[in-house]
Amino acid sequence: MALSGLDIYKLLPKTNCKDCGFATCLAFAMALAQKKVPLDKCPHVTAQAREALESASQPPIKLVVIGNGENRVEIGNETVMYRHEQKFFHPAAIGFLIEDTLNEDDVAKKVSEINALKFERVGQALGADLICIKNSSRSKDKFLNVVRKVASSSKHNIALSSADGAAVSEALKNLKDRKPLIICEEASALDDFIKHAKENGASLAITCSNIDEAAQATDKARKQGVEEIVINISGKGAADRIHDFTYMRRSALKKNFRPLGYPVMAFAESTDPHLELCEAISYVSKYAGLVIVKNTKKEFVFPLIVARQDIYQDPQKPVQVEPKIYEIGKVTNQSPVLVTTNFSITYFTVAGEVESSKVPSRIICCDAEGMSVLTAWAAEKFTAEKIADTLKKSGIESMVSHKRIVIPGYVSVLSGKLEEVSGWKVAVGPREASGIPNYLRGLK
Amino acid sequence: MPQKKKIKVAKGTDLLTAAVKCGIVLNAVCGGEGLCGKCKVIVADRKVLACETIIESDLDVTIPKQSLSEHSASIGNSEEFTKGVVLEKEKAHPFSPLVRKFYLEMKAPTADESSSDFERIVDELARRVNNLSLTTKLANVKHLGEIIRDSDFKVTATVGYKDDSVEILSIEPGNTVSSNYGFAFDIGTTTVVGQLIDLDKNKILGTRIAFNKQASFGADIITRIIYASNAGGLKILNDAVLENINEIIEDLCASAKVRLSDLNVVNFAGNMTMMHLLLKIDPSNIRKAPYIPATTVFPAVSLSEVSIEGNPKGMASFLPGVTTYVGGDIVSGVLASGLAESDELQLLIDIGTNGEIVLGNKDWMMGTAASAGPAFEGSGLSCGMKAVGGAIQKIAITKSLDVKLDVIGGGKPRGICGSGYIDLLCQMFKNGIIDRNGKIKRALKTDRIRKTDTGYEFVVDKGIVISEDDIENLKRSKGAIYSAIIALLNKVEKNITEVKRVYIAGGFGNYLNIENAVFIGLLPDIDRDIYRFVGNTSLAGARISLSSHEAFLKTFRIHKNITYLDLSSEPGYMDEYVASLFFPHTDLGRFPSVRL
Repeated sequence: MALSGLDIYKLLPKTNCKDCGFATCLAFAMALAQKKVPLDKCPHVTAQAREALESASQPPIKLVVIGNGENRVEIGNETVMYRHEQKFFHPAAIGFLIEDTLNEDDVAKKVSEINALKFERVGQALGADLICIKNSSRSKDKFLNVVRKVASSSKHNIALSSADGAAVSEALKNLKDRKPLIICEEASALDDFIKHAKENGASLAITCSNIDEAAQATDKARKQGVEEIVINISGKGAADRIHDFTYMRRSALKKNFRPLGYPVMAFAESTDPHLELCEAISYVSKYAGLVIVKNTKKEFVFPLIVARQDIYQDPQKPVQVEPKIYEIGKVTNQSPVLVTTNFSITYFTVAGEVESSKVPSRIICCDAEGMSVLTAWAAEKFTAEKIADTLKKSGIESMVSHKRIVIPGYVSVLSGKLEEVSGWKVAVGPREASGIPNYLRGLK
Repeated sequence: MPQKKKIKVAKGTDLLTAAVKCGIVLNAVCGGEGLCGKCKVIVADRKVLACETIIESDLDVTIPKQSLSEHSASIGNSEEFTKGVVLEKEKAHPFSPLVRKFYLEMKAPTADESSSDFERIVDELARRVNNLSLTTKLANVKHLGEIIRDSDFKVTATVGYKDDSVEILSIEPGNTVSSNYGFAFDIGTTTVVGQLIDLDKNKILGTRIAFNKQASFGADIITRIIYASNAGGLKILNDAVLENINEIIEDLCASAKVRLSDLNVVNFAGNMTMMHLLLKIDPSNIRKAPYIPATTVFPAVSLSEVSIEGNPKGMASFLPGVTTYVGGDIVSGVLASGLAESDELQLLIDIGTNGEIVLGNKDWMMGTAASAGPAFEGSGLSCGMKAVGGAIQKIAITKSLDVKLDVIGGGKPRGICGSGYIDLLCQMFKNGIIDRNGKIKRALKTDRIRKTDTGYEFVVDKGIVISEDDIENLKRSKGAIYSAIIALLNKVEKNITEVKRVYIAGGFGNYLNIENAVFIGLLPDIDRDIYRFVGNTSLAGARISLSSHEAFLKTFRIHKNITYLDLSSEPGYMDEYVASLFFPHTDLGRFPSVRL
């Protein structure tokens, strides 16, 4: 059972000594309940309490690392069912399938396509996370050939999927220092795979057809010393798989059920590329830590990666619009210029009212770290100096033939100073955006 | 307005500052920046802005009524501000005032019994007081030999109890034990309330309320902090509040016939910014992320050190706060309500400019501040005002849209105060004048609904309206408070039904209709018997900890034991907040008793 913050608090010394870095024992207990800090941060916890708290301080879903160095991917260690409860920490890894039934040229082509998957969106560099080599041929030699080929021609992390423990063991010899993920396809080969994972420091994915099987298998692997485990549910349709993923996530988070406290993965199995994309996005949405897809075409990969980026967006960071000049309507060099912050809700509210005023205008959004007008003003992110600086750098001077700006009514106190430092004539607009249409229509 | 006040000021002083100096508070929402245009006065038949008019020579100034802040009701006797405080817990604390007087009769020294004059006093005191480790100031022993001999070794020692030590504040000849007085103060952003206590007889001698004169330099804390960062600004703000305090002290002492020199202790509770300004501590970091005050505990000092009237050697003491947004006023409220000693789960909600909320019991406490804004204090609304004479405090609307008003002090209504707005929203909602989103129903056929430049408004009385922007503002305030309560409960995984007592404190004056507050979704829909309206708990706590050193020490435990929850970094708070921006809430299941 997961302990609540108050349950944990009762077991702590309650001295508020601050040695843990928190202001009170209760604050520390709350953080511990949310798995944000390890128990070790409290130097005064008694052995008895430690025992009771140990399980509460473990992450409910194990963190699994695939690969080494800066390319490595981390999956799992999630703490919430829904993003708005806090945030999702580790974006689902996207892997690309290469089957060893392909001939050498096709493998090379596939690898170069995967290597070429590079996108940039809102300042983030995005691309493939790993290549999954599947032993579809059931031939050890073919498998080893492809593994060698991929390992030498790509820096991507590697997953090896097979039912043959010996083949995987052999392949691992070529992958020293790459900390791959090995995917055990058959329950009968599990003991073998556990041994190889342990010996080679690889993480282990276990393929199961249902949840009960998965719980037993992870328990077995953990008892034999494998820590980094991934659960792969196979032989089911997408809907059933999502059902299982949801169930596992819930048992891990809500019931603190250890055997299901591991990241899950899935192979997208649809053959139609559009359906495959839908299937993969569904898995990313509902709890997969790793999704393997076949299609390497940019037009299919990009939407998948964008969907993942959106789902894993931190909801606690205010959504911002780009700090720049926005033109609403058919502006001329006579059109009014309004200043506001770059908090998206603020901008869109102002923009909406400007639009309904039917007075073509320019809106300059200052970079106020995504804060609303009063908040930004109070925190000194929306000051006369800052606005003056934005005016200067925005190039607005060359776009209009006047030197008049309108500032939000709530920051009327800035007007004097702003005129002084910017040299622009400052008019104070209405406090609420709802007053903008009337205000703009009244401007001469 | 005939004030007939005269004042001499230095050449170059502006009129706004001069007005404050003679006790006239002008409207200056912008903080004297020359922007709001509300401080217009008439000089030589011309209208000018007081804040922009520099005095060169003697002149006559006429102040139009609308420029006079409602604050100019200046000092008022305010039974109503304490009547609401009915606290069973108040008598639970032993009577042991922060400053006590001890009459000591000692033997004259001999060759055999030769301890010094001061030791003689300390030894005698030690027989009367436990665990005494006494300190004193050099000034008290300089002339001790003379005092003690002139009075034939019969003296009265005035002893001050601090949080960590005990100090002999003064030694005077003869027996003066029966004249020992103290003051409890609540220093709020808007109001300053003082209460004179007879510390010998444990009796309240009177209460006075004044509007904080700092309001002339900004209505809210942020504007004042900015003002304080200007050259000389901190001193001006400090002078303003000291003037409030000293006026109340002089006024109450005069009417109770108490000599100022017998005022030995003044105990303060107030929010973090007010405490900084009172002690001239630089407040500038309070408004900058991550919002860190210079200190949350304030050492006791002598009254003369902080320029407060009374016995110059008397003691000024201050209740500790928790963080920037949960100050000594809330610690004081927690003490007064008895929440910190309760076995059952309790909630304290203090509705002022911020809505501060503390949840807990004797084992743990968690506190937070919701940025409710000053709407329930009547600020920022088209016809809002504080709960003073002329404010509409109760409103009922009939089916035929007749409006019945209850105005504080009777007479013509001048505006609406917080409790009036709660009634108004509830009645408008109940009678279908506004929808669940707070929009006025345009289709209603009545003269009371008018279209304006910024939307629609509802006419409450002649010249008094509520606009859709006002409703929006109030909706955000009530939503902020309600969602903060829920966020706090969620954080500790408790349900509102587990709370056995809810104290509602704050500046509503003497009236708050709990039923209506639930109806609009400001307060959770639970058994109404759980609620207690307790008025100004900040003042109550200051008074309790003035009369009981044990209670004073408890405030330091409260200060350490409240865990602060920062809502802005609390995931889920924003969802709670947005969901509460409906009347009464998006989720009607949470308000089963609200039926239209």
